[in-house]
Amino acid sequence: MRRLSAIARNTFREAIRDRVLYSILFFAIGVLVLCLAVTEITIGDGEKVVRSMALGAIRLFASGIALFLGVGLVYKELERKTIYTIASKPIPRGLFLLGKYVGLMTVLAVELALLGLFYTGLMVLQQGAPTASVYVSWILLLAELGLLTAWALLFSSYSNPTTATFFSLAVYVIGHLADDIALFGSQAASESVQALSRIVYWLLPNFEVFNATDRAVHGLPIPLEQVLGALAYGVGYSAVVLALASVVLSRRDFK
Amino acid sequence: MSDAHTIVVRGLRKVYRSGFFRIPFVGLDSLDLEVNPGEIFGFVGPNGAGKTTTMKILVGLQNATAGDVELFGLPHRDIRAKRDLGFLPERPYFYQHLSARELLTFYGELFDLSGNVLVERVESLLERVDLASFAEAPLGTFSKGMLQRAGIAQALINQPRLLILDEPMSGLDPVGRMLVKDILLEERARGTTVFLSSHVLGDVELLADRVGLLIKGRLHGCGTVKELLGATTHQHVDCAFRLKGAIDLPGAEISRDGDLVQVRLSPEQVNETVDRVRASGGQVIQVLPTRSTLEDLVAREVLRSREVAP
Repeated sequence: MRRLSAIARNTFREAIRDRVLYSILFFAIGVLVLCLAVTEITIGDGEKVVRSMALGAIRLFASGIALFLGVGLVYKELERKTIYTIASKPIPRGLFLLGKYVGLMTVLAVELALLGLFYTGLMVLQQGAPTASVYVSWILLLAELGLLTAWALLFSSYSNPTTATFFSLAVYVIGHLADDIALFGSQAASESVQALSRIVYWLLPNFEVFNATDRAVHGLPIPLEQVLGALAYGVGYSAVVLALASVVLSRRDFK
Repeated sequence: MSDAHTIVVRGLRKVYRSGFFRIPFVGLDSLDLEVNPGEIFGFVGPNGAGKTTTMKILVGLQNATAGDVELFGLPHRDIRAKRDLGFLPERPYFYQHLSARELLTFYGELFDLSGNVLVERVESLLERVDLASFAEAPLGTFSKGMLQRAGIAQALINQPRLLILDEPMSGLDPVGRMLVKDILLEERARGTTVFLSSHVLGDVELLADRVGLLIKGRLHGCGTVKELLGATTHQHVDCAFRLKGAIDLPGAEISRDGDLVQVRLSPEQVNETVDRVRASGGQVIQVLPTRSTLEDLVAREVLRSREVAP
């Protein structure tokens, strides 16, 4: 446990000492402030539009940071050869990967908490305290980030950041279209297209199960079954992807 | 296999494949090696011989294509074997955001060290590698030599029974080299086995109890420096004469400066040559038997391997 915690803390420390992270965070906060101005130029329920835009911005920036940090997580260790002195120690590669993952998830949780705190402050000033569903939607968002990070880590364990970014982004976009793919596939005339869409649907993640932003915007409660189901799906799927990444990394030669 | 040796390597083979057609390149071929407990073993050879590859396989950074490797009688990838292992890679890279103290603490935690034991060990190692006054500086600001010393310190954090060091003298100034040599000798006195590679063959000759010579992935000799050099007949004698006229001397003329002639002779040529010089009215100034060095041996074996290469 101490070894896992040491790797996680080191990953966390490395990320929070990276100035790029702060630049993205400040930019995200700037965008949240700008969202407030939308009330003035919106026809209809301006407050709802502000909530929608601000929560969307938080989702976008959180995912961006997860992707940005995730794809470089293992590659940087290989490129800088810092992995040499770690892999020669009594650290199984799977444990190393898990430590990196836990460290990055801690960074993402802190970053989400900071953005959430700022969002809460803005809402209190403009339209009153956010409903509980906003906070529940962020728990689901964290599970989504966990799955996205696991995929980024898998791609990062065998390819460079550019390729890993491309693949991770593809999985992310397709994962948000999973329900549509299944729907269109089921309506296709060709049986092979139907089969293919079913395979894609079951193989790739469905990121929409984590999306509760609409209910949060409208202040509607998010059913407990949906939350627990999504969390179980996220944790289980992430574990499988991480196990796969661990196998890939274990077979690699560090040249 | 035996656990009487700290390192046992049997039939080790490593084939790299590169390019679109996966063209094979043999990095190591049928390497057999045994390293005894408590000895300093120097692993020498030219660039590309396979020294670093061997070390990377030993510490589990690379997979062997074939062959067996044991550390302390255990498979080399066994976590129990790694608990007693300290490794310094060639040109070590560390997290630049960490200070030297944070770095050593981090590596100590990877060995499950904690509390006062960890703090004391980190502080004593910082002192030992002369980095105590830079303990709080980020590693990103360190010179090459300071990084090398930090690398030595991290390799010692678990008080290993086996140290595998790839070019430990690289990037060090004379004081740093002396410091590392002292550390290695102290470690040997403590019973630690040291397996090191170095291009500074003078240091290897001075430190190593036994030496393995690797060329093109194959072991070309293994033993004490004396055994390796004794197997060759290339000890020579450097002679200097004062000669007025021209004389045909056997052996290679090193230099001639006016009357002063310097030649390198084999021991068998010395008597005859001295007689001829004196008979010609010349004066013998120096007859200095010179032992071949490890560097001579390595250079000669490398050249010989090129001659016999297909």
